[in-house]
Amino acid sequence: MAAHPYLILAVISLGLGLAAGGVMHRADYCLAGMFRDLFLFRQSFMLRTLLLLVTATMACLAIARLAGLPLPSPSLFGPPGLANLIGGFCFGAGMVLAGGCVVGTLYKMGSGSLLSAVAFLGLLAGSAFYAEIAPGWSVFSRMTTFGPRLTLPEWLGLPPALVSFALVVVFSAGLVRWRRDGGLVRSARAEGYLQPWLAALLLALVVVVSDLTVGMPLGVTTAYAKLGGYLESLVAPRHFATLAFYHPQGLSYVPPFTSASLHGGAAPQLDALAAIQFPLIFGIFLGAAISAMRLREFRIYVKLPPRQFLSAFIGGAVMGLASRLAPSCNVWHLLGGLPLLAASSVLFLAGLFPGAWLGSRLLTRWVLCA
Amino acid sequence: MNDDMKMFEFDIRGQICPSTLLTALRQVNRHRDALRSGCARLHFFTDNRDATTTIPDAIRNMGYVVTVTKERGWYRILVCKDAAKDLVSEGS
Repeated sequence: MAAHPYLILAVISLGLGLAAGGVMHRADYCLAGMFRDLFLFRQSFMLRTLLLLVTATMACLAIARLAGLPLPSPSLFGPPGLANLIGGFCFGAGMVLAGGCVVGTLYKMGSGSLLSAVAFLGLLAGSAFYAEIAPGWSVFSRMTTFGPRLTLPEWLGLPPALVSFALVVVFSAGLVRWRRDGGLVRSARAEGYLQPWLAALLLALVVVVSDLTVGMPLGVTTAYAKLGGYLESLVAPRHFATLAFYHPQGLSYVPPFTSASLHGGAAPQLDALAAIQFPLIFGIFLGAAISAMRLREFRIYVKLPPRQFLSAFIGGAVMGLASRLAPSCNVWHLLGGLPLLAASSVLFLAGLFPGAWLGSRLLTRWVLCA
Repeated sequence: MNDDMKMFEFDIRGQICPSTLLTALRQVNRHRDALRSGCARLHFFTDNRDATTTIPDAIRNMGYVVTVTKERGWYRILVCKDAAKDLVSEGS
C-alpha cells in the first residue's frame, strides 16, 4: 500500500527540520543577527555566509533545472508588489526586536531560551491579528502588484538558466575573494562550533532537498497562523467563525513524488501545509534541543530584564503579522525565493534591510539601553 | 595576584541578542582606566555561542586579553590587561 502523501511530506519535513535545527544551533546561524549586526556593529561576516547559502542553492537548482528535474513553481511566491516591500520592512524590525527570526526563534527555544518562547507566543498573536485586517490588506495587495511577471528572468526577458548562472558567477567571484582574504572563517571558542560557511552549505543542501522532494522551500509561518487561529477558535469561537482569512484554501500544488493535487491554507485543520510545516517546526526545535543537550548547554534562565520580555513579545507579534502581510517569512524568501529568482523575494529583501535598521535603533534605544 | 585587583562580574545568560556584546563593550569602556592599569578584571557569563567569538574579536582589537572558558553549560569570558603577566605574578 502506498503511503499517504501527507505522511511522506511529514517525514521528509521532520528530517529536514532536525538537520536544520542542529546545524543552526551549532553555528548559531541567526538570520536576524546577520542583518542587525550590519547596522549595529558594521559587521558583514555572517551576511557573507548568507550569500554563500543563496549562491550554492542557486547553482544546485540551476543544474537541477538543466537536468530536467521539477522545481517549485514561481507562483508559490506570488506576484511582486508593495506588500512584499512593506512586509519585509515590518519583518526586519520585528525579527531584531524579537532576537531571532521565525526559525531562529525555534532553534533558540530548542536550546532553552525563555525569551524565544515569548517571541513564539508573539508570533502566534501577530499571525492571529492579521486575520482581523486580512480582507482590506488583500485588496491593497492586489491593487499594488507590479504586474503578472513572477521572476527576474521574466522581467529581464532572459532564460532562467542564463540569469542563474550569471548571478552564480558574479557572487562566486566575491565569495572566492573573501575566502582568500580569510573573510569566511572565524576563530571558534564555543564547543562543537560549526563554521558558518559550512552551516550555510549544509542549509543550502536542506533547501535543495526540500525544493526537489517536498516541492517547495522551507516555510513555517502558515503553521503559526493555523496555531494562532486554533487558539482563537478556543477562546472566541463565534468571532473566529466570522474571519474570512481562515476559510480559503490558498495553496494548490502537486508534489514531485505524486500526481495528486494537494491543498492547504491558514485554517486550523490537517492539510498539505500542516503536514509540511508542523513537522518542520518540531524538527528544528528538536534538532536544536538535541544539539544543546549533547553539548550540555540546554539551560533555561528566568531572571531576565522585563524590557527584554516585552521586546521579544512585541517583536514576535510584529514578525507574525509581517509574515502574513509580505506574505511569508525571511526563510521562505531569502533561502527559498532568491535562489529561484522570485521577484517578490527580491522586494522582501529590499524591505528587510531598512526594517532591520529600524529594529536595531529601537533595540539599542529602548531595550538594551544602559 | 594584585591585592587591589577588582573583579567585576556580569551575568548576561539567557538575555536577548546582542545584549552580551553590547554589555561587554559598554563595561570595557566604563572600566577602561582600571583595566589598562591592571587593577580590574571583567567576567562575563553568557550562554550565547556567537558571543564567544564576537566579544573576543571586538575586545582584542581594543588591546585587551580575552579568554573564553566553558563552565557548566555556559561560557565565562574574562577580559583583563595581560593575562600572561597576571599568571606569572600568581605563580611567584
